[in-house]
Amino acid sequence: MESVAVREAFFVGYEMANAMAGSASPAPRRPVSPPSANRQQLCHARLGRGSIAFVAVLLLPLFAHAQPAAPSSLDPMAEEIAFFEKRIRPVLVENCYACHSQQAQRAGKLKGGLRVDDRQAMRRGGESGPAIVPGEIEGSLLISALRYESFRMPPDRKLPEETIRDFERWIRDGAADPRQPTNGDDARETSPPARTAGSHWAYLPPFHSPSPDLLGETLRRARTDIDAYVLAAQRLREIPAVGDADWESIRRRLSFDLRGIPPLSDDSDDPQSGLPDQFERTTDAWLASPRFGERWGRHWLDLARFAESLTLRGFVLPEAWRYRDYVFDYWNEDRPYPEFLREQIAGDLLPCSALPQQQRQRIATTFLALGNTNLEEQDKRQLEMDVVDEQLDVIGKTILAQTIGCARCHDHKFDPIGTRSYYALAGILRNCQTLEHENVSKWLELPLPVDAEFESRLQERESELARLDAEVKAMQVSLKALADGKPAAAAARTRIDLSELPGIVVDDAQARRVGEWKQSTHTTPFLGDGYLHDLDAGKGTKTLTFLPELPRAGTYEVRFAYTPGENRAESVSLIVFSADGEKTIQVNQRLMPPIDGQFISLGRFRFEPAGQSFVIVDTTGSRGHVIADAVQFLAEEELARDRPPSKTATSINGPPSGDAMHKELEARLRETEQRRKSLKQQGPHRPRTMSVREREQAGDCAVHIRGSVHTLGDTVPRGFPDFQGGTVTASITANESGRRELADWLVDRDNPLTYRVLANRLWKGVMGEGLVRTTENFGTTGDVPSHPELLDRLALWIGQEAATPKLVVRRLVLSSTYRIATDNSPAGAQFDPENRLRWRMPRKRLDAESLLNRMLIAADAIDWRYGGSTLPSGLTEDYGYEPRGSRRAEYWPVFRNALPDLFEAFDFADPSVPVGRRDESTVATQALAMLNHSLVVDLAHQTALRTMQSSSPSRGPSDRGELDALYERILGRAPTDAERRGVDDFLAASSEESPIERWAAVVQSLFASIDFRYLE
Amino acid sequence: MHRRNFLQQTSCGFGALALAAMIGQRRGVAAAPLPSPLASPLAARAPHGVAQAKRILFLFMQGGVSQVDSFDPKPVLAERDGQMHAFDDARALANTGQRGGTQRIMKSPWEFSQYGASGTPVSQLFPQIARHVDDLCFVHSMHTDGVAHGPATLFLHCGSTNSVRPSMGAWVTYGLGTENENLPAFVTLAPSSGNGGARNYGSAFLPALYQGTAVGKAGSPAAQATIRNLGDSRRSEPDRRRQFDLLQALNREQLSRHRLRDRSAPSAHSGAAGLDDGLEATIHAYELAWRMQTMAPDVLSLTRETAATLEQYGIGKDPTDNFGRQCLMARRLCEAGVRFVQVTYGDNSANPAWDQHSNLPKHADHARAVDQPIAGLLQDLKQRGLLEDTLVWWGCEFGRTPYAEKNGTGRDHNPGGFTVWLAGGGTRPGMHYGRTDEFGHLAVEDRVHMHDLHATLLHLLGLDHEQLTYRYAGRDFRLTDVHGQVVHSLIRGEK
Repeated sequence: MESVAVREAFFVGYEMANAMAGSASPAPRRPVSPPSANRQQLCHARLGRGSIAFVAVLLLPLFAHAQPAAPSSLDPMAEEIAFFEKRIRPVLVENCYACHSQQAQRAGKLKGGLRVDDRQAMRRGGESGPAIVPGEIEGSLLISALRYESFRMPPDRKLPEETIRDFERWIRDGAADPRQPTNGDDARETSPPARTAGSHWAYLPPFHSPSPDLLGETLRRARTDIDAYVLAAQRLREIPAVGDADWESIRRRLSFDLRGIPPLSDDSDDPQSGLPDQFERTTDAWLASPRFGERWGRHWLDLARFAESLTLRGFVLPEAWRYRDYVFDYWNEDRPYPEFLREQIAGDLLPCSALPQQQRQRIATTFLALGNTNLEEQDKRQLEMDVVDEQLDVIGKTILAQTIGCARCHDHKFDPIGTRSYYALAGILRNCQTLEHENVSKWLELPLPVDAEFESRLQERESELARLDAEVKAMQVSLKALADGKPAAAAARTRIDLSELPGIVVDDAQARRVGEWKQSTHTTPFLGDGYLHDLDAGKGTKTLTFLPELPRAGTYEVRFAYTPGENRAESVSLIVFSADGEKTIQVNQRLMPPIDGQFISLGRFRFEPAGQSFVIVDTTGSRGHVIADAVQFLAEEELARDRPPSKTATSINGPPSGDAMHKELEARLRETEQRRKSLKQQGPHRPRTMSVREREQAGDCAVHIRGSVHTLGDTVPRGFPDFQGGTVTASITANESGRRELADWLVDRDNPLTYRVLANRLWKGVMGEGLVRTTENFGTTGDVPSHPELLDRLALWIGQEAATPKLVVRRLVLSSTYRIATDNSPAGAQFDPENRLRWRMPRKRLDAESLLNRMLIAADAIDWRYGGSTLPSGLTEDYGYEPRGSRRAEYWPVFRNALPDLFEAFDFADPSVPVGRRDESTVATQALAMLNHSLVVDLAHQTALRTMQSSSPSRGPSDRGELDALYERILGRAPTDAERRGVDDFLAASSEESPIERWAAVVQSLFASIDFRYLE
Repeated sequence: MHRRNFLQQTSCGFGALALAAMIGQRRGVAAAPLPSPLASPLAARAPHGVAQAKRILFLFMQGGVSQVDSFDPKPVLAERDGQMHAFDDARALANTGQRGGTQRIMKSPWEFSQYGASGTPVSQLFPQIARHVDDLCFVHSMHTDGVAHGPATLFLHCGSTNSVRPSMGAWVTYGLGTENENLPAFVTLAPSSGNGGARNYGSAFLPALYQGTAVGKAGSPAAQATIRNLGDSRRSEPDRRRQFDLLQALNREQLSRHRLRDRSAPSAHSGAAGLDDGLEATIHAYELAWRMQTMAPDVLSLTRETAATLEQYGIGKDPTDNFGRQCLMARRLCEAGVRFVQVTYGDNSANPAWDQHSNLPKHADHARAVDQPIAGLLQDLKQRGLLEDTLVWWGCEFGRTPYAEKNGTGRDHNPGGFTVWLAGGGTRPGMHYGRTDEFGHLAVEDRVHMHDLHATLLHLLGLDHEQLTYRYAGRDFRLTDVHGQVVHSLIRGEK
């Protein structure tokens, strides 16, 4: 197979190309992409300095959809081993290792002297003899133990019959077992990595090769050194590029590529100047415009899985927009790429001088916090590792184009990344906190540093708030003391009617009872007809469930009423079930309830009408009588209203002598609470940003065997993969997570991946397709570069010579390669249909944002404001959100449950995973959207209106001026004769009365037409 | 080109063609090829093996129906009602790792009776479904991943509690294409926006065209449910037709101009191979959209159903009207050749419909809303012969505990043991597979994990769950990850 690969190969080392062009006949013409189904080896060796720089198999078709190589059939045991790996080993790891492994032995937990974690130990067996005898089911102790015939293993639960049959089959077939005897420290449960992958092109340092020399026609065509690489390869294959595109097409292409919008009527560049450097002038003007950052920043946001809500419960992320703006700013500011990466990985740990920098660095770390996490996961250890895994996945794909996540459960099957490397990296990220855990965990919103003046205002307000808090608390205490101190004997009332109370009140009489509860009216006052107590008996067998009928979703304060007394329980468990899960609150019923002597607040909870909303009184563990009188649910607005004068409390508890004092105190309390509330509402508010923070204790992480948080292997010192299958231990500042070191490693000028990956992304952004088409996978299963020397050249320029991304984009668009037309050519179509040699410019399709922007601009409706939050204020969940507005599309809220229809239809990046290359589908839903979506219809109408306003209105069909104006506005060109006739026919036949509506239909057809969506 | 020809070529005769194609495409009858030379990515594809079922109809009971109160009776619950007993509570296990907490056994408030030749016990909750038990294939030993709704619901649909993965409907559509390209291939009726929301019918890294199309949404009346952007009612039908013809005329003119520039391209018959830049596909997509616009409202409309049929589904009366409509729409979609249809009985809250933590008797309200519609659906499918190749799947993300939650009056989530049932599509009728323990808490015999159920459902469609893979970011992904075993006992004619 390899020899075929070599024969199929052809060479593009430019020196060799020159040599061949000069002397020998050109390389044989073959299709550029031999459609061989077999996986082919890439040969990317360096053959001595200065002679032949690269010998590369160019353009091998490792399609993204290709099937993986079939497992080798040469190994006679391959099938048995596969069976072991799939059906036996996981069961052993999960069910047996806890007591029967080297790990257990070290921990002193080994049972029966038996280890089943290596082949020999298993056959040797433990105290009762060999665990298995290959080929002999009945002679294998393991089987009778699994069957619960001899031993009963695993002890807590018999394995399913199916699994036992698997073991029988495995032993019958010879008990194939690839596990090597374990000794020393190497007891981890992983297989050796793909050993040969270390020589894969992407893991070798980029190599500098001077740009190829060009001759004749190719020399004339080259505008930049980039073209030299491209043209040399084209000449070698005798597939010349088509000619330059016309000026209008190229200007439109440039505008969309750099700014995501069409050329504007008020663009200040002078396209007709005729100056030789007009293209360069236009390029520089557009690169300098803030529109550039909005466009190119959005490419990065695709990779950063940027979104402003979580799928789970539609939680809105109110501060995520700051990160979006940070990214836009970066692309506009033209700073070096390493800064950009460092800030996002470890911005909070980096030194900084000025405040804006400090803020910027803090906001940048939102990058780590944007995962679409399932906050509801109940196993929080699992959740934490899921978060780390997601972060590693994003860092791996986005920055390194590596699928690191594969090594979570086993060594990477194809690339030289071992499980140890995974946990060396995971150790770093696990030291940084991304979530605060509760039943439903919460992301972090940390205060953003502010300037001294603002800070002092903030502090002033905060200390005032703290003072008011203290004051309120003190007054509440005095009120309580006043009430407690006096006997309730003089109470004017014994019974409080439920209808006197605000909110939803569930009386004890309505509660669902489990076990025996007794009604009593002994202690007064009580609510309703009495209260229940548990007779101080049958602890743990009795409950009461209070089920309110809540009118609507929202936040309620939950209050519990009881009658206090000396024989009461000191610790009663009250469990509140809300939309956010359950929470248990302990109440001491010997103390006077603080609110009006009747209620104690259990806190504020979010409820949904159909969701769980109830309170359980649990007697478990209580000593003394457990009392329950009622549960009250107060909606926020009821709380906000001034509390009604609490006659009840005073008349019951306040003896005549203390009455006045009590009243006065209450009035003061109300007034203070009011002040506190208004201060809270008015600001200034401390700005916050989504972020992460260092944990107090930094440490290393253990290998999680098969990814399970419950089966830990060796602890791995924090470090990085060396891409040769091993791990380099990092020297990490004490008590730090290691994120700074991670950032340094990522941007190290010798990192073979980081800059190649960026160079490829920039090329993709300009040229429409990457030099490596699998932009997130530079591993052995990914694509190979079409022009390796060119990719390296660009990577070195960025990594070694600190070229900024913007500078690279500039150089790319100024190339001849960028300016060629989209025309077809026979040679190209036949021998390189995939256009890997760049003999034509692919016909680019507008992405969702550009399409929307183009319509907004045609309708003169676009709002050019830069940055800022675009979320409706106070929105807490994204369900059913209907996006509308006129901001350019890059600012529309990215809600994971409510993406704009047009985004969804036109292949907007899935905001939950890193996307470097969006799908380009052509489906009926797109057509339906363009035909019927109300936004498209509205914008078409507005466009028609604008055009009619600015040209002389006419009802006649063949008004040249009107149609020309419309075409100019929408497509930037004049209609063809056939188009003109088609529109005339339509206008003549239309039964629509209003001329605007007739024209609006024409506009919409133009919006929906090919030339609106595809760029020449 | 003469002006008249120009328009005629693209419009006249098109309607007739579309109609022919539309009719031809129903129910997988060998279809006249579409006028476009382009092979659609949704074109019907042959399965890996023998397909017993052509499509899936999934009735999702969101929130978790209690197995011991519906199809898995446990007399011991009544005998020992109120007694305390040690159980390994899944939530406690996940939160704290603790086993064996004491819980109060709680009997079912409903009586069970035996039905059908199979003598299948069904509780008072489902008297109508009970009449079809001999057609149903029960799995009593289900278990799954995820204790909370979010993770378990995602697991049910996508085979993963947290990672972003394609939904089952997307996988099926990717594997088999559709039988009717004039309709979406994967339709989800009244999906919930909670607990994973759109991810539960999303395509994740599969191409976007495989994602489910939502018709209506949970909480809105089924009578108003439709596909988005299906029609612009502001214009008259003839005007819309005229506008569409104009659009396609412009498109063809623009295409021909581009192709003229590509004049040196290889001859027309290999045009697509020479330059596949999506231009022809765009025109094709508009034609398809137009047909869908014409056909879909008709498929979703119930106006042509007889009064008897409406009655059969409980349409027109409370509390069955809404779910009845959804079930009938589902049948119409199946009939029209949609590959994967899901109907959700649920809502958008964090504690969806069947989630009776505190008030178990409320199960009866939900049962009343779904019992007759489901029974009607089964009967209707059977009468029309659709049950032969339609695989009906009734189930939830998990079951409920046989003990009282927190010693209260409801039941908590239970991923360790619950019941689903299947019908038609090659499943074994009257089957009872697997068993839970004496309390109905944990599956103990012939356990079927959700991965196994997924593998089995795919198998019934003729798809090998290990072969149905998609290469993404360097790795082959599948619905069942690295797990899943087909449960052959559930399949008619297999063992």
